[in-house]
Amino acid sequence: MLNEKKGISRGAIITLMIVLVVCILTIVLENTINPNSLLFTVIRKAAVYSLVAVTMNLLNGFTGLFSLGQAGFMLLGAYTYAILTIPTDVRDSIYYLFGGAGFHFSTVSFFEGIIGDSGVAGFISMILGVLIAMLVGGIVAAIVAYLIGLPVLRLKSDYLAIATLGFAEILRAIFQWDKLGKVTNGANALRGYPTFADFNIKNAQGITVLRLSSFIPILFAGICILIIILLINSSYGRAFKAIRDDEVAAEAMGINLAKHKMMSFIISSFFAGVGGALFAMFASTVQAKTFTSAMTYEIFLIVVIGGIGSISGSCIASFLYIACSEWWLRFLDNTQYINGNQLPLFKNGFRMVVFSVVIMIIVLFFRTGMMGDKELSDLFNKKRRKKVKADE
Amino acid sequence: MSNNVLHLENVTMQFGGVVAVDNFSMDINEGEIVSLIGPNGAGKTTAFNCVTGVYEPTNGLVEFYGKPIVRNHPQGKMKKGYLGQNGDMYLGEVISQTPDEITKLGIARTFQNIRLWKSMTVFENVLLAKHMNAKQNVFSATFRTNKKEEERMRRETLELLKQQGLDKYKDELATSLPYGLQRRLEIARALAAEPKLLLLDEPAAGMNPQETEELTAFIRQIRDDYNITIFLIEHHMNLVMDISDRIYVIEFGKEIAHGLPKEIQKNPKVIDAYLGG
Amino acid sequence: MEFAVSQILSGISLGGQYALIAIGYTMVYGILRLINFAHGDVFMIAGVLMVYMSASMPLYISIPAMIIFTVLLGFLIERAAYKPLRSAPRMSVMISAIGVSYLLQNLALYITGGQPKTYPRIPWISKTITIFGARTHVVTVVTPFLVIALVLILTLLIDKTKIGIAMRAVSKDFETSQLMGVKINTVISVTFIIGSFLAAVGSVLYFTNYPTVVPMSGAMPGLKAFVAAVFGGIGSIPGAVIGAFIIGICETLIKGTDYAIFSDAFTFALLIIILVVKPTGIFGEKTTDKV
Repeated sequence: MLNEKKGISRGAIITLMIVLVVCILTIVLENTINPNSLLFTVIRKAAVYSLVAVTMNLLNGFTGLFSLGQAGFMLLGAYTYAILTIPTDVRDSIYYLFGGAGFHFSTVSFFEGIIGDSGVAGFISMILGVLIAMLVGGIVAAIVAYLIGLPVLRLKSDYLAIATLGFAEILRAIFQWDKLGKVTNGANALRGYPTFADFNIKNAQGITVLRLSSFIPILFAGICILIIILLINSSYGRAFKAIRDDEVAAEAMGINLAKHKMMSFIISSFFAGVGGALFAMFASTVQAKTFTSAMTYEIFLIVVIGGIGSISGSCIASFLYIACSEWWLRFLDNTQYINGNQLPLFKNGFRMVVFSVVIMIIVLFFRTGMMGDKELSDLFNKKRRKKVKADE
Repeated sequence: MSNNVLHLENVTMQFGGVVAVDNFSMDINEGEIVSLIGPNGAGKTTAFNCVTGVYEPTNGLVEFYGKPIVRNHPQGKMKKGYLGQNGDMYLGEVISQTPDEITKLGIARTFQNIRLWKSMTVFENVLLAKHMNAKQNVFSATFRTNKKEEERMRRETLELLKQQGLDKYKDELATSLPYGLQRRLEIARALAAEPKLLLLDEPAAGMNPQETEELTAFIRQIRDDYNITIFLIEHHMNLVMDISDRIYVIEFGKEIAHGLPKEIQKNPKVIDAYLGG
Repeated sequence: MEFAVSQILSGISLGGQYALIAIGYTMVYGILRLINFAHGDVFMIAGVLMVYMSASMPLYISIPAMIIFTVLLGFLIERAAYKPLRSAPRMSVMISAIGVSYLLQNLALYITGGQPKTYPRIPWISKTITIFGARTHVVTVVTPFLVIALVLILTLLIDKTKIGIAMRAVSKDFETSQLMGVKINTVISVTFIIGSFLAAVGSVLYFTNYPTVVPMSGAMPGLKAFVAAVFGGIGSIPGAVIGAFIIGICETLIKGTDYAIFSDAFTFALLIIILVVKPTGIFGEKTTDKV
């Protein structure tokens, strides 16, 4: 594990290098091949989902709290982000159904007012506005998590799952309520806020010179995941694992269950909120009806496929899951011909059927997922250990 | 007389209509090894759990170094249904603490059915007992600004493992150790919490005579090495008679005898309880 | 007045439909301690089956055939997705249930092509009648009586028959019943068969009121029925039925106000309140952990 021995282990270094290579490859590819390739959609979405899957893993895999509220916290983050960053001048046109916006502050416009709104100054204002809004999105999710956690964290496994699922549904209803339309735009979508595409660097003529729209989500999600990894390998992370392994023993050894469970729940929700903000940037519109329990199930299945209790598993599984569902299995949805004969079964929706069958096979026959509770770095470390033995 | 460490006064624990521990009182003094024995289902572990905060006794008082740590009188449904004695003795202030709070006061325990954290190594199991008293918060721990504290915890853990002869297993999974060593590890974990009082719940359960003998020496050793007081529940008579300074015997939740091992061995009530029961 | 009568009538009817689904949840939970997330989707599949079968068969054949296929589906799900995980941790089984739910929804999406399918009119229950001046369908009036009749039969089955006694034994103590020679697998299969049968009957009543079926049709009613089961005390059949009626009535009443958007949220708020105040539900039995 990361902090097991003095300094950083070899496995961790190799893992970091892999991440670095992925980042560089992403930047290089996006600036050389067709930037509209599905590959980049997959990368962006997978980065966002990796973060959310990791937050869910922190709860389900590391603390043993079976929570299904992730979509709800994402919703909070996404809405907070959108509401805070939509530039002041386009607000009224987006909220036109409610007779204009009821809330006119925009972090992006605020910084533009201070630093300037064109050229480099405009770019910096946008970044600052985005970062602050993301942070606030996380904080809002964390505060709501605290309030929800007070009553529900006392519940046992599946009751906790259903209660958190319920809370997410309640949040969804609140955000669709037309009485709040001036803030949330009711059931309509929010749009016009900065998205990943706004991070592409343009020259004075407005021509894109460096595309970063796929690297940025990896960067943001990566930083958040890194913090979670540090947490998991700290004294508190060990305490979370102790609660998962044996609650009674943990309590007997002086670990305050309520406090630690709440901590894990709040931290997970904070990053789920940030993940929601990233999702908003990915999707370029925010609408409450996206954040259904089906979304939570999807994220949960990613966690399961990657391995409950493995951070790298969640990340790899996110990429594979998104790539399969959005890209690699696409052909299943189209009519296919062999020697001019139309193949049966291939039509719209077949992709998802095949996909869910594959998931069921994993759930039933490969219960530990791809990584079990191991990390990528463990694999590299093990290899070395074996080599040492062979040398002896 | 030396310092009083643990004082139980009229502790009663009632579940529905069953009085599991009935008006039980006892005292443990500093540096003593005191045993609680009794036939199966006599209420030994329940009495233990009343001290450690797992259960809230229906009535009674528990003091640790003269300070009340648990105090309760029959409330709610129990107000009417209380079957014990002295129901009006502890009216007024109710003191109830969760197990982690009790542990922080300096009472650590082991479990009858070993409860180690199964996904963690021997080292991590012991290390985690240091978590509760570490000077750190979640931010300093995450961003590694608690380096000194973390290093101290690791150093002390390693020291403790060495003292207990467990250091060669430190990177093994706790549950991969043989049974006897798992027991030892559980005791080491409790010691890592730096307790003043150690509660051992049937430490010799499932051990063969030789292992039991080793354990006896081991328990005495830790009492002397760490200057702590030990309270244990046990079934193995050899161990109990050999090790205890004093013994309490309960049957059906009630104390039937207490005294020195010699006295207990001859006590007709005790012989009756064990042979007649 | 007429509005109120029609609201309450349809509330009772909706409650009855939830009750039929809730029984499936509560029985499975009672025996396997599993929230069968796929149960709502079995209910939806029953609706889809009916749409396709009624297109080629007369109702007196298609309804029984649909019920048989639904029961078969419930049975197969248990055998394929839950039985292999009998000794696995509870979470694995729940994951499997979520997986099955996902599969059934995608299967329905594939079959229907994502189009809402019109549910067939069943002449003798979708007729319109007038009660206390309120116009409503026959199904609204029939539902509560049918539910009560089915629950009575079920209660008799559980109280008097050998398999019923086995079911009660298994729900009290899974391992001991197994040691006592109760055929666990048979008991569990029967539980799923009964649950799916009731869900199939429920689907006929439910979709007659909601004219179309879509792949997500089962998710919400499923969750609400589960809430009903928790509300009444999970594992208790009368509890589930009463919980379902309360939720059905409340939901319909809320739908009639300005706060219609909160009709789903209300159910979950109720769930959280009951879990916090009385986690065992109205009729639930207390369980204790041993340290």
